[in-house]
Amino acid sequence: MGRTLIYYDENNPKGSVGLLEAADLMNQGDEHKRYAICFDPETKDHGYFDYWLRIEDERIKSYDVVNMTNCIEELHNSYRFDCILIPATPLGRMLAPRLAMRLGVGLVADVTAIGRYNGQVKLIRPAFDGKMMAGIVSAPPLMATIRPNVFQYTPRRLGETTVIAFQPQNIQQTSLTRLETKTGGPLQDICDSKVLVSGGGGVGGSFWEIAPLANALGGMVSASRRIVDSGIATRAIQVGQSGKIVSPKLYIALGIYGSLQHIEGLKNVEYIISVNTNKNAPICSLSDIIVEGDAIEFVKKLVERIKRETPQNQI
Amino acid sequence: MPKQIICLVKFVPNVDGYQYDYERNVLIRENVRMIINPDDACALSLALQLQKNEPDTQVEIVSMGPLSVLPLVRDLLRRGVKRATLLSDKRFVGSDTYVTSRIIARYLSTISYDLIVSGSHSMDGDTAHVPAQIAELLQLEQMSNVKRVETENNAEGYLFFEVESEGDRSRYRIELPALLSLSRDSPYKLPFVRYTDLKLEVDDRITIITNDQLGIPNEELGLKGSLTKVVETYPKTLEEKQRIVVTNDDQGIETVYQFLKERGFV
Repeated sequence: MGRTLIYYDENNPKGSVGLLEAADLMNQGDEHKRYAICFDPETKDHGYFDYWLRIEDERIKSYDVVNMTNCIEELHNSYRFDCILIPATPLGRMLAPRLAMRLGVGLVADVTAIGRYNGQVKLIRPAFDGKMMAGIVSAPPLMATIRPNVFQYTPRRLGETTVIAFQPQNIQQTSLTRLETKTGGPLQDICDSKVLVSGGGGVGGSFWEIAPLANALGGMVSASRRIVDSGIATRAIQVGQSGKIVSPKLYIALGIYGSLQHIEGLKNVEYIISVNTNKNAPICSLSDIIVEGDAIEFVKKLVERIKRETPQNQI
Repeated sequence: MPKQIICLVKFVPNVDGYQYDYERNVLIRENVRMIINPDDACALSLALQLQKNEPDTQVEIVSMGPLSVLPLVRDLLRRGVKRATLLSDKRFVGSDTYVTSRIIARYLSTISYDLIVSGSHSMDGDTAHVPAQIAELLQLEQMSNVKRVETENNAEGYLFFEVESEGDRSRYRIELPALLSLSRDSPYKLPFVRYTDLKLEVDDRITIITNDQLGIPNEELGLKGSLTKVVETYPKTLEEKQRIVVTNDDQGIETVYQFLKERGFV
């Protein structure tokens, strides 16, 4: 029976568990033992995995990719995993290539879908800024970074998880020290929002005027790459291949053309309303309603309409 | 402060120039210019700033690619880079990130440096594998998404830098030598070529290296040596929906409002 190792990111439990769906697809329905490795000894997420490898070594800091590599190498030497999956977070994308090189294993980055090619597992990922998709095969063991939130896992039932405490032997002194961290405040993540009101090149400098609509719908503001690249909004709220993959119930696209790299960021979105002066923009072909016109004018009118219906004390 | 700085540079097709033919569902890739990868341009700009602060610093760019990128290499030399090395060999064609990292690391292991800088992501492949894999082969620490390096903070043998990712900003200290990968959000911009240097002869500062010098077994190069293989590429297709088209008038706004109301959004 095969063994799959999943790197469990304590900051993204749902995304980490989602990798089980990718693992099942890669194993083509065959039974396989699922191992989670977690470097935070406090974290427990039992029931999804067969084994939970708890790493108990205070010397391994949350950014210490070299010692994480040493540790996983040690584990791989005894467990011989058939498949190693790591979330494609900033840390995961530093850890995975280093580990792949250490193990002499091929690595596929940022996988968003899984298929078949001549009986082999084919890992699919966007390339050329989301303009193309590439199907890649790799010699076993299979190793990949997986886009968080693309795969969703629903267990048939929760099982027993066996905890294995592991004390790594090959820990080295690191020459990298984190001196301080400033979190951007209790920043809400656009991935968690049920409603996103998103602005693109068409709203340009008036970008922040779309915020009242997000407020009126109890959602968040997000942006296309053009807005972020021109410095109007931060990358944390960017939707798309080089930003985040989002799955809101409602996505309102204001002045967004809908380049493939942007559309790559929309997964399982239930409803899309797009407002655009060009009703043939690619985003429109994905939309439930297309409003042909100026996006800022639309925001003002719709906010007014919503306020008219809602008693003042509820806003 | 570092004295020998290597900057890893990739020349990539300018994917923003790609046009999409929605009728035929194909990507039009003809007539697309090659440019320096944007993240790499930030890394090189940082290196040049460090060189400007301390003129005995040497910046060398190292790139792998076909000889057709030489005009772009010359342009970077005219912007103040001291030396350029192009790893170019027909046997390298088709190499995946594993092989590419091994080729570049093999060359780097023959020279001395105290800092290597690179971009974090490339615009075309966007795997971000190569910097981390080169660091692994050279047994260096590596950090991606570096936004700013403190160029004035003179601590012997160390660099201080900031990383920004997912809304968090962290400050680190790293012992040299090390590999830092810059993000395209960093503020460093390439200097212009001075008017008098536009035609400056720079070829004596370019070294072209083939596998004859590196001596990697042929079966470990190119497609043959690669552990991953691209078996197909296809343009992303859009699935069409039944759609309603309205305008910004009262009726249009009412249609949108009722749509939202029926589905419980207002």
